[in-house]
Amino acid sequence: MSAAAVAVRVPERTRPRSRLRVIPPIETFPRFVSFAQTPAGKVALVGAFGLGYGCFLPQPGEWLTVTLTLGLISFLPKWRGILVMAGTLGLAATQMPVRFFLPVAALGLILFWCARRWPQSMFGRRPVAFLLTGFALIIVATSRIPQSSPWFFPIWISVGMLTRYVWFIGYALMDRSASASRDAALEVGSFQPFWGSTTVPYAKGAAYLRRIEAKNAQELAITQLKGIKLLAWALLLLNFQHLWMFVFHTYLHIPSEAHALAMSVRRMPYPWYVCWQSQVLAFFETVLGISVFGHQVIAVCRMSGFNALRNTYRPLSSPTVMEFFNRFYFYFKELLVDFFFYPTFFRYFKRHRRLRIVAATFAAATFGNMFFHFTRDFSMIAKYGLAGSIINFQVFAFYCVVLGTALSISQLRRNTPRTGFVFGRLLPAAWVTLFYCMLDVFGSTERNYPLTEHLRFLAHMFGIDF
Amino acid sequence: MDRKTTIRQFVQSLLTQKGDQRPFNDGDSLVFGGRLQSIDVVDVVMFLEEQWGVDFASIGFDENLLDSVNAIDALVQQAAVSR
Repeated sequence: MSAAAVAVRVPERTRPRSRLRVIPPIETFPRFVSFAQTPAGKVALVGAFGLGYGCFLPQPGEWLTVTLTLGLISFLPKWRGILVMAGTLGLAATQMPVRFFLPVAALGLILFWCARRWPQSMFGRRPVAFLLTGFALIIVATSRIPQSSPWFFPIWISVGMLTRYVWFIGYALMDRSASASRDAALEVGSFQPFWGSTTVPYAKGAAYLRRIEAKNAQELAITQLKGIKLLAWALLLLNFQHLWMFVFHTYLHIPSEAHALAMSVRRMPYPWYVCWQSQVLAFFETVLGISVFGHQVIAVCRMSGFNALRNTYRPLSSPTVMEFFNRFYFYFKELLVDFFFYPTFFRYFKRHRRLRIVAATFAAATFGNMFFHFTRDFSMIAKYGLAGSIINFQVFAFYCVVLGTALSISQLRRNTPRTGFVFGRLLPAAWVTLFYCMLDVFGSTERNYPLTEHLRFLAHMFGIDF
Repeated sequence: MDRKTTIRQFVQSLLTQKGDQRPFNDGDSLVFGGRLQSIDVVDVVMFLEEQWGVDFASIGFDENLLDSVNAIDALVQQAAVSR
């Protein structure tokens, strides 16, 4: 599954309090909270976190930058914005030449400044639409440059950097009217922040970060303790993931989904039940992988004093398709909602309640999802050409259309009352999981095989061969 | 029934629908606190449009404005004044 199978998350605070917990709720223990506010407590917290974070095997420079930044933020929380920027720039310097990062950050700040300076201009009124349209045009223009041109590599590298940062710049542009947007340090610091991100901004933009940041020592202590807890949970899941891979793939020799699909393409398919095993395992492995990575990132974010919501929160207990989408990859769902759902929802079909929701859902889950992945993987254009890469995108396009349809239906039906544990929660959750598991057959963005091959594989899972 | 009570009851019904039975204060952060999701915010928006004719096209949409019962009440009041 790609980043597509995303998002609704259920509030952590509303989770029923069970007596038995794998990780105790240390942020609710007054002694822990008090201790975490003392110098010794801060050292202990950052030290413990640094040790735990090291288990994820980051690069030495990355580990040092993250731990040092967290240590400084813990002792100098009033300088959080500056320190986040310093950590982000420091990490960027360890990962890539600064000459690549600075032009993109400068571009973001210039666009941000223009949108604030001329709010009534066409750009000032719809800066995000301009950004994304311009971005798409740049990709089209880049695809026209012949590989023999001396401009080919510099321009492709520049567009690659823009791809990495475009959604961060988008969030900065959305924040242009926020009253606290004077704080340019956090604005820059939120561009691929030092706690980690993919092309999806984890914990969104600077305005969101300001909204969720700890306002006093006690809030900082509680948020950091929650960060420690989340990192511990991520470590547990990471070890479980290793065990899982060993048991199912090394010991039981169940083939990976990619291999099972490849064998189907070669007309030497595994038996249908082996294909099911591969598919189910692949789905759970995706959920595990997203969970581990997201928990690790949000744990660092929380240690920085931002009480961000988890990226993944109990997706397998989701009773509806919409809820799974929300819980599985929260920040990608938020991106789709912020950049595509809301603009459509507030602009079109205002007098048609259902049509309005369906149109906005398709704009986000189908169009937005395709736009995100197509531009993210724009290097495919170099391989297949623009037309070829659009044609090769058919499998994921199909995925997005089915997802948009399912989410629309889920939203229109979501007032249906739930009754009982088995019929109200267990069975719906099982159906939802099964749906996403099957949809995952088409969730690949690798573009190795045409849609017919994926359909053939799915049909074979049900004993139908053609 | 006054406006704030109506808003509170609507928010309560939204939370109940999601299985969230915990009490909340009028000033509690609901969106940024994780109790309401962006999809739920859409329900709040449609409720405000239908109940009090709030026009988000004119006032601009910002999740901050819908983060608590107090914030929603202030938004409705502001929208009524600007009409």
